[in-house]
Parts: sequence; structure tokens; C-alpha cells
Amino acid sequence: MVTKMATPSINRREFIGATAAAGAGLILSSCSPDSGSKSAANKASSLNKINIALIGCGAQGQVLLESLQVIEGIRLVAVADIWDYNRNSNVRRLKDNGFDVKGYRDYEELLANEKDLQAVIVAVPDFWHAPVTNACLKAGLHVYCEKMMSNTIEGARSMVATMRETGKLLQIGHQRRSNPRYVFALNRLVRDGQICGRLTAAQAQWNRAVTNDLGWPKHSDLKPEDLAKYGFKDMHQFRNWRWFKGLGGGPLSDLGAHQIDIFNWWFGGPPKSVMATGGLDYYKNHDWYDNAMVIYEYPLAEDVARAFYQVQTTTSAGGGYFEQFMGDEGTIKMSENPSITKIYREDRAKSWDELVAKNYLRASATAPVSDADKVDVRETAPLLQYDIPVSFTKKIHQPHLENFFNAIRGTAKLNCPADEAFRSEYVIHKANEAVAAQKMIAITPQETEA
Amino acid sequence: MSEPVIHTFNHTAMATQFQVRIAVEEKSYAGQAAQAAFALTDNLESRLSRFRANSEISQIAQLAVGEKLRLTEPVLACLRHAQKMEFATRGAFSVTAAALKTQPTKPLWSLVENEFSIRCDSGRLEFDLGAIGKGFALDRMAEVLREWSCPAFLLIAGGSSILAGDAPTATAGWSCGLGDDNSARRHWLKNISLSGSGLAVKGNHIFDPRTGLPSSCRHRAWALTEFAAESDALSTACMILKEPEIAEILQRNADWLVFLQEKENWRHLGKRQMPPAA
Repeated sequence: MVTKMATPSINRREFIGATAAAGAGLILSSCSPDSGSKSAANKASSLNKINIALIGCGAQGQVLLESLQVIEGIRLVAVADIWDYNRNSNVRRLKDNGFDVKGYRDYEELLANEKDLQAVIVAVPDFWHAPVTNACLKAGLHVYCEKMMSNTIEGARSMVATMRETGKLLQIGHQRRSNPRYVFALNRLVRDGQICGRLTAAQAQWNRAVTNDLGWPKHSDLKPEDLAKYGFKDMHQFRNWRWFKGLGGGPLSDLGAHQIDIFNWWFGGPPKSVMATGGLDYYKNHDWYDNAMVIYEYPLAEDVARAFYQVQTTTSAGGGYFEQFMGDEGTIKMSENPSITKIYREDRAKSWDELVAKNYLRASATAPVSDADKVDVRETAPLLQYDIPVSFTKKIHQPHLENFFNAIRGTAKLNCPADEAFRSEYVIHKANEAVAAQKMIAITPQETEA
Repeated sequence: MSEPVIHTFNHTAMATQFQVRIAVEEKSYAGQAAQAAFALTDNLESRLSRFRANSEISQIAQLAVGEKLRLTEPVLACLRHAQKMEFATRGAFSVTAAALKTQPTKPLWSLVENEFSIRCDSGRLEFDLGAIGKGFALDRMAEVLREWSCPAFLLIAGGSSILAGDAPTATAGWSCGLGDDNSARRHWLKNISLSGSGLAVKGNHIFDPRTGLPSSCRHRAWALTEFAAESDALSTACMILKEPEIAEILQRNADWLVFLQEKENWRHLGKRQMPPAA
């Protein structure tokens, strides 16, 4: 049985990548679908198959590979990785799954040999992002580069400059920017529906339990001269580069980057200040802070909203990873994990019935209706709770990659071009700086522009 | 000769406690290898779980009749095992068993091998990999440990499926019992998988995919096969198959061995040689 529901207005960007859940099926199938990847590919015959390569087959590269294997209209022709173990195992698995891919040692070898590429996906360690991305842009390729753009502000700025010089597309991997649940929640609930009322605060977190440093199989070591050539002291540093200054930016950069970017995106711009505390409390063989707490101040039309971010890498307690925006009428708690997403209404807020009727919100429990002069007594009634009626079943990086490929075809605009990403990444670098300085640092709008 | 050093590591995934035991001298190295194997398990869970909205299994459940979905390599490999086991057990094992709770007839599906895709042929493909996914994870974890030069391992998924690698030095294998703790029925296992199904822990939770009804012919069943994905599925099927049906299946699969228990009545079926008693 299909329940008839009202049709919310959902624009093409929100539609892309969203698939219908029970109850929401009519909504999405009744919309005019976006041209999307399949039809876009047919329109631009020369780009029916976009030839791409993946540079960097480590943990993040493999996450992206999962999506790249199922996206239509692209052809993965090569992968590159300096580590034989990663490169060879990925080439083998890809060939087992029908992909005729070549393996190259590094981006220079790849660029020298592959002359029919249109785009590359860059998932190498952060300190290589700028050199690899700049070289690929200058070689005439569109680039999807994982966040952080660079381990330095200067590196990130150089990427924006190269993007502008070459006129090529540079998408940064803040994948929530293309997540239909996030796009819908921001556009329809926060902006159109004003469900939070006046925004006053936000908090976000990503806490992780203690884990051992990454190891490597015996007999798979890179040669010392190769480690040195590519900027690593030893195999331990190569495998755990995220923890070392000069290579990565630590947990605030690895995890916080995604969520602090949501602060900037949803508040509509960068903060005016940051203060932070943190330390190298636990892993004494690392460089970067393992625990950090950050407070930003975001200037809003009404006044200011403060946003607290924490990343603890010694405990997983605290309820998972999420971004929560709080106002005087409601709170919306977002996460890539839909089971964590919650929406709360303050008693003083105007009725949300209209939003429910428009299917912008879904009430998970119905309030009893009774006449004012009567009451029925029974079990304690559940509190009203609300969910977002957009279900999303693709892999979480898939819509962001699809947005990149559609932008190459000319059927979409990038959801996170490098200049936009720079505004977020600048203030993330400033958070690490604030931990070191142990003071509040002012941020001007001008300095967040690349 | 001294006893081999066995290091043990635990990890929760797929709503199950996974355990890795590795016989190797260096504990820190064994820990890193186990961590790599557990990371793979987490990745598989994200693809295979019907409780994850973004998993491929959840995406498969959204397919309309005639629609196809390109699969990633591990999901395709797991479904190949599932297809093989459904055929081999004459439908007594099926990943669509639970779908009969919500649909009048069993949904049908095909793997389109040259497109690395699955196609929905009828119904809603509400897959439940509960009787094969954990075994499949053990098979893939074994590959990781061998890559890490740790071939002497024992992998355990929730106590119901194990996969033994090489024997620890100076032993005949890993001592594995059938049944309750410290069972007297023990065998030395190496490079083989053993899975058990039964009613003792969850009651009669096994549905016959052929009827959609709870069903069981016996108290417990075990299956010994090369791959853990297969032993996992076969032991479940053996809970509902009648003994002549099992015998007929084992005629065609000479490298499988099945143990059955009905109260105090124990027997084994199959041509495969019984592993040595421990």
C-alpha cells in the first residue's frame, strides 16, 4: 500500500542522488528529475565516458574507489600509488571487477603516459595535494581533490590560483555539500522553514576510541630512498602521516574539516574569531594534538552564534559524529548517519504542522487530538519527534563525485569549488593555530578569501 | 619444544564479536595484522548490512523489477557464494528467506556477470546476509592475514563460524569442539572452516526459504567446508533439510562434511575424511 503524501518543492540539486524511502517515494518520483549523470552523459556524446585516474590508493582512495566503481558514465583507466602493496592489490581487485586499469608509481609517471584523461581524483597525503593538484590542472585536467586542500594555507591558496589560471574545475572533497539530506535540511528546513528560529549556537563532534598506529605487512616496506624522495622519514610515518606536522593536520584537519565546513556553509560564511585548547595527551609518538576543543564566533544578521567543536581521539563516547544547529525555536542535529539525525521543536515555536503537511518534516509519533473539555488517560504519550523525509541510499561520497562529473559535462555547478572550500579550510588551519597560541584569534572576511 | 605463542584480538562488527588468534612471535605485529583484518570487516559491514541505509544491500532492496545495480567486487563475490549455496542446497539456504515475511512469493534476482551487476527479476530484493555474511568476512580476513605473512591463524565470528589457517608450530591444528563449552567432540582443524547452527541460543529463528515458515529438523548442525561463507550457509540449510536431502547434496559436493545432533544422537554425513580427533 502506498500512502499519498503532499509533494514538497525539491530542487534539482536536492534531487540528485536522493532515492526514495518508503513514504517518501511519491515525493521524489513526482518531481521533475534533474538531468543527472545518466541523461547528461547522453547529451554530451564526447563525454559519454569521462576518462579518469585515481592518484593515491590508501584508505581514502579506496573509499572513493567504492563510489567510482558504481558511477555510470566514467571510465577508470589508471591508478597511481607509490606503495607497491597498495597499487598492486587495487589494480588486481579492479581487474577482477572488470576495470581495465593500469598502475603507475606516481602522478608524474601517470601524466607522462596517460594522454586521454579528462580528470583525476587526488587522494594522496595532504602535503602532496597542492603539488599533485597543481600539476594535474596545468596538464589540462579537471581535479577532484580530497580535503584538506593542503597542510598549509599557502598550499591551498596556490590551488585556487592554479584553478583560476587554467580555467579547469577543482572540486574539494567536502562531500556533505552534495549530500541530498544536508542540502534539503539547509534549504528547506533551516532557510525556507526557519525551523530553528533565530540561530544561537552550534556544536559538532567526532570522537574516536584509542586505536593502534597503522602497520604494514612484512616484506612490503618502501625503500628508504623512496621514502625520502616522497617526503617520509620512515614507514611508520608513511603509514601514519595524518599525525605528523609537515605532512597532515591532525584530527582537527582530518575529521574537523568536514564538520567545521558545515558550520561555515550553514551559517553562510566564515567566523570572526576562534579560540581553542587541545594537546598531545595520549599518543606520545605523534606530533599533532589528539584531543581538541574549539569555539568559533559566527557573525549573523541578528547578533552572533557560537559554535563548539570537539574531536577526541581517546574515547568514542558522546553519541557518534554529528553537527547540531540550535535556535530559539528548534534544533536540528545532522549526521551522515541518518539514525543520528534528529529534529527538536521548542514549545514556543509556531506550529510545524504546515511543514509536516508539505512533507518538509515527518512526525514520527502523532499527538492525540481531543476536545479541550475532555481528556483520556492512558499510557504516557510519546513526545513528538521529527525526521527528515529524504532518504539517501548511495554511498556517501557518490553524489559529490557525481556533481564533479556533471560539472565537467556542463550540466551542473560544482558544489564545493576550491575557492569556496578555502574559506572553510582557512579557519580550520586557524583552529590548530589557536590551540598552539592558547588565545583567541580574530579572523577577518578578507583573509578567508583566496 | 615450547608452546607456540598465540595472540588474541577482539572486535565487534556485524552485531557479532569477531576474534582473531594469531600464532606469531611479535605481538605488536600480530596486533597490526589483526587491525587490518578488522578494518576490512568494518568495510564489509558497511556494504553488506541491511541496517545501513547506504549499503549496497539497502540499495538492492530499492531496485524495481528489471532494474540493475552495479556492485563492488566484495558484494558481487558474496552474492556469487549466496547464489551457489542456494542452488547447492536446493533453496534451503537463501538470502531472500526473510523477504517472505513481507511478500507473498520469493523475490527473484540474477547476477549479470559481464556487467558486474545484479538485476531484480521479481518482487523486492530484501536480502538478509545473516547466514553467509559473517562467514564471507572470515574468508576475506584470512586473505588479509596471509598477505601480512601470518598464515597460522584462527578466526571466529560470534562462536558460530570459524576459519582455521595453518596450524601453530608443532601442533596438529587448532583444537575445535562441536557444541557446548569444552565439548568432548573435538577435532584438529587447519585450512578449513567449521560453522554451526542450532536452537540453543536463539530458539527456532530459522525460516525455511521454501515455505516462509519457521522450521527445523534437528537441534544442531555443523558444516565443514573450505570457505567460511559456504560452511555458514550450509550449516543453516542443514537445520531444515531432511537427512536424505543432505546426503544427496553431499554426494555432489565431496569436499563438504556435515555433523548433525538430535539430543544425544550424533552422526556425520559426507565423503570427506573426518579431521583428526583432538
